[in-house]
Amino acid sequence: MLKHTNYLTKVYGVKDGHTLAVYEREAQGYQAAKKVLTSMTREQVVDEAKKANIRGRGGAGFPMGVKWSFMRPHATKPAYLVLNADEGEPGTHKDRTLMEENPHSVIEGCIIGCYGIGAHVAYIYVRDELHLSKARLEAAIEEARAKGYLGKTPFGKAYPVDVHVHTGAGAYICGEETSLLNSLEGRRGEPRLKPPFPAQVGAFGCPTTVNNLETIGIVPSAFLMGCEEFSKLSALHAINDGGVRLYGVNGHVKKPCVVELAVGPTLRELVYDVGGGVLGDKPLWAIIPGGSSTPVLRADELVHAPDEKSPLHEYHGKSILDVPLGVDTARGLGTMLGTCCITVMAEGTSPVAAMQNLMQFYRHESCGQCTPCREGSGWLVRICDKLMAGTATMAELDTLHSVANNIMGNTICAFGEGTAMPALGFLKKFRKDFEAYVRDSQAGKRATLVVEGESFLPPSANAGAQAAE
Amino acid sequence: MPTFKLDGKTIPFEAGDSIIRAAEKAGVEIPHYCYHAGLSSPANCRMCLVEILPAANQRAMMLDIVEWDEKLGDYKAVRKPKLQPSCQFMATEGQEVLAETSTHVIEARAGVQEFLLLNHPVDCPICDQAGECKLQDYWLEHQKTPKRMHDEPVHKPKAVSFGDTIVYDAERCVMCTRCIRFMDEVAKDPVLDMRERGNLKEVIVAPGRKLEGHYTLMTEHVCPVGALTSKDFRFKARVWFLKTAKTVCQGCATGCNAHFDYDPRSNKALRYRPRDNEAVNKYWMCDEGMLSYRDVTSNRVPGALVGGKPVKLDRALEDAKKRFGSVQKSSIAFVLSAKHSLEDNLALFELAELCASRALYVTGAPDGYSDDILIHADKNSNTAGVKNLAPEAKSFADLLADASAGKVTHVIALGGAAPTEEVTALGRLEGLVTIAAHEGPITGAAHVVLPAAAWIESSGTFVNAKGMRQLAEKGTEPLGASEPGWKLVGKLAVAIGVEPSWTTLKDVRSMLVATSVPPPEPPSAEASAE
Ligand SMILES: Cc1cc2nc3c(=O)[nH]c(=O)nc-3n(C[C@H](O)[C@H](O)[C@H](O)COP(=O)(O)O)c2cc1C
Ligand code: SF4
Ligand code: SF4
Ligand code: SF4
Ligand code: FES
Repeated sequence: MLKHTNYLTKVYGVKDGHTLAVYEREAQGYQAAKKVLTSMTREQVVDEAKKANIRGRGGAGFPMGVKWSFMRPHATKPAYLVLNADEGEPGTHKDRTLMEENPHSVIEGCIIGCYGIGAHVAYIYVRDELHLSKARLEAAIEEARAKGYLGKTPFGKAYPVDVHVHTGAGAYICGEETSLLNSLEGRRGEPRLKPPFPAQVGAFGCPTTVNNLETIGIVPSAFLMGCEEFSKLSALHAINDGGVRLYGVNGHVKKPCVVELAVGPTLRELVYDVGGGVLGDKPLWAIIPGGSSTPVLRADELVHAPDEKSPLHEYHGKSILDVPLGVDTARGLGTMLGTCCITVMAEGTSPVAAMQNLMQFYRHESCGQCTPCREGSGWLVRICDKLMAGTATMAELDTLHSVANNIMGNTICAFGEGTAMPALGFLKKFRKDFEAYVRDSQAGKRATLVVEGESFLPPSANAGAQAAE
Repeated sequence: MPTFKLDGKTIPFEAGDSIIRAAEKAGVEIPHYCYHAGLSSPANCRMCLVEILPAANQRAMMLDIVEWDEKLGDYKAVRKPKLQPSCQFMATEGQEVLAETSTHVIEARAGVQEFLLLNHPVDCPICDQAGECKLQDYWLEHQKTPKRMHDEPVHKPKAVSFGDTIVYDAERCVMCTRCIRFMDEVAKDPVLDMRERGNLKEVIVAPGRKLEGHYTLMTEHVCPVGALTSKDFRFKARVWFLKTAKTVCQGCATGCNAHFDYDPRSNKALRYRPRDNEAVNKYWMCDEGMLSYRDVTSNRVPGALVGGKPVKLDRALEDAKKRFGSVQKSSIAFVLSAKHSLEDNLALFELAELCASRALYVTGAPDGYSDDILIHADKNSNTAGVKNLAPEAKSFADLLADASAGKVTHVIALGGAAPTEEVTALGRLEGLVTIAAHEGPITGAAHVVLPAAAWIESSGTFVNAKGMRQLAEKGTEPLGASEPGWKLVGKLAVAIGVEPSWTTLKDVRSMLVATSVPPPEPPSAEASAE
């Protein structure tokens, strides 16, 4: 069900919307933080947060309130809140809008979050390339400090809170939370072994909560209206997926964009109502639902949920395009909601070129610690390259899934699954196309990732087409 | 002791043991590259994955994968359990772990092994590691499939000099980080790290530095493959032709346990490797120690000497007889050596007894560099042994003083080493015979030198600074005319008219029992951390 909201986006596009004055005037800025710090205990904040049913916006969809409740005060060590604004997942472009257009919601969220988990310092880890984002966050922090919202006694309460922006160097793997912590500490950005989890041993060896930037950004809105009320805005409140979130639409749509919606729009609504329909009015072919790591869906797939207990049972036999999109419903479709930014592909897109494109990314970004990811990601690309060049054999095509199988689950961090899942997804859903590339050595030369004549992308941004030349 | 089950076998463990460690202690090897008992566990190689059966009230975490169904002509969705690295996962009471008995584990191992060989040069014929390489061993044990990737492998730097001792080949490297962790955690000098990402990764030395210090050769030793090779050993031997003697390093009083590798065909010493002993050197040796296998040949006493000139042993003994035959036996002074085995020292000690002499002294090498890792300032391998044998023995300085004062005129010594180069006082002696393997101040001053076998050329016992009595096996055959020191003491005794109370090594050892020297250490449990 499509329900536009504007809790986070109210100040988007408003003149000086990123400033404290506009945030306070238009969006009751810092009222939530004031309410929380002046009238609630830490325990109350966590209990209330749980009611909001905010599922982590970073990709895994873990309930935010539950994560906060893992934080236990340590006898000697401070606690930290770390915001993940690395936003490196291909096809993901939502956190950036929040930092640029509404940085104060993030800072206010940090105050509530710090209070809730018992931290006095929040770090926002921003990918280096996002210069405007960093500038807007820094400016917002300065404004909040000047007003005393950040500092020794925010809103008169003797609970010091400060926020710092930390710059990454543009490595996708530094978005993985433990890798991010290493990077934050000045170490090589490689994921750590878990356990221990960040709530026990996080930044600088101290208890830490890592949340996505948007996860924290929406917190003030939830607390302002009451967390349960907030959760009920969602069509999926009943299955603990609450509130509103940023949905992104990109790829072969007429109007790529980021919008705020109550949780639970359908893919059809996102493509046609939000995205303005498929480029060149082509038939819809496939959708990557939440960033490159989430398995691709074919537009012609039907929901298979014969089990009455399945949250998707009521959609059994219907088009997957008509299922309200939330964390658990996406899982029910055999994929993931991920970062909630959908990549739309029109008919004519080559699945082999698409997979090659993604695999190039994973090969390039694997931190290289664990054998299956380091070597497997490279092998997947090699075979994709040969398929595109028309030199792959059937045996090599049949190697692809076994390589992905051997990566799956056998690595230190979820990057491994993030590589294997989309690979297996493309293979499972488009095997016939892959076979055609083996039989017909010209197939790769005709392969495309763009919609003829309609591309708004500069040609150089199209790796698949380049490889085909 | 708590226990868990590995493939149905009961494995005991101590709190804090990982599954792989507990299995290792129970003599069951779980294949691994990155795990090393003496280092932290990064769990990066993924070779040690095992299946841990869920407890009764839990469900296994399952992962979606696919299989190719020939009949169907399509992929079939299947699931597999999430495996866990046994080097990271702690053993817990009653846990059931599957390794060899899990098809998922067998597949995962073969998968990891295939991944590791994917871009590997497989240049075994020119690789020093061949014959003791985990990649080779595990291919046979855990993979056994032909190569599926026939394209040009990824190329990376080869034969990179990391410093004076080590050469790195990035193409052979399996990125296990053992070398990096060794330098960081044991040598306390984090001079190695990784650069690049993914399959372009390589180990590097910190800019502006080289791999240096007292423990560089250990990086080669911990490397499970041929990525790091020692400049000293490169291209010198095929390891399968070598024989190994379990010995004790003579470099200092720590007494690191070592494997001494030599070529029996040419009687040539080739290298030392640490022999694991938790109580002494754990899994390590220092560079000086590692290279001291060369002492078999370097600085050796070339043969019997009289007045510095080479002679036959008989001639030398005759000369000794001339100098010592008519002297009152009880006036002869005896100099034990902290660099010689208990056997050699005991023989000399016994000779002193037979001569009814109370004039005992000790010599040995001067003190030197030390650290709080392994290296002891005392550069002698048997100081504690000699001290136990003859607590009343006087120092070498006393010997010099007594010689200058004319209190001592005739001396029978062990070894060439002395704590000082300044030994002119010895020039006043009327007779100085030494039984030595290596040249030193004492051999320089001696009238007669009898050529002793080096430590590795005869079995010997040494007591380290911790008071542990350790046995060193015989390796190479004695060079030239040299003979075990205790035997030469016997011949010398006969020459000066004393009937020795021993003829065989067994005799000497049985006399050792009667001394106050601590009893032998039980043979060290050898962990398989190599
Ligand atoms: C390879 C990889 C990359 C990731 N990149 C990001 C990222 O850019 N931003 C993000 O918020 N989470 C990212 N995550 C997820 C984080 O590890 C973590 O789950 C998340 O930041 C938690 O926040 P949340 O609970 O609020 O979603 C990534 C995970 C993996 C495995
Ligand atoms: S799965 Fe890949 S990215 Fe993650 S730790 Fe292993 S090698 Fe690095
Ligand atoms: S490291 Fe050396 S011996 Fe081992 S497989 Fe490679 S080339 Fe062969
Ligand atoms: S050089 Fe050897 S020890 Fe070091 S990371 Fe490579 S394989 Fe491991
Ligand atoms: S030995 Fe366990 S992952 Fe390497």
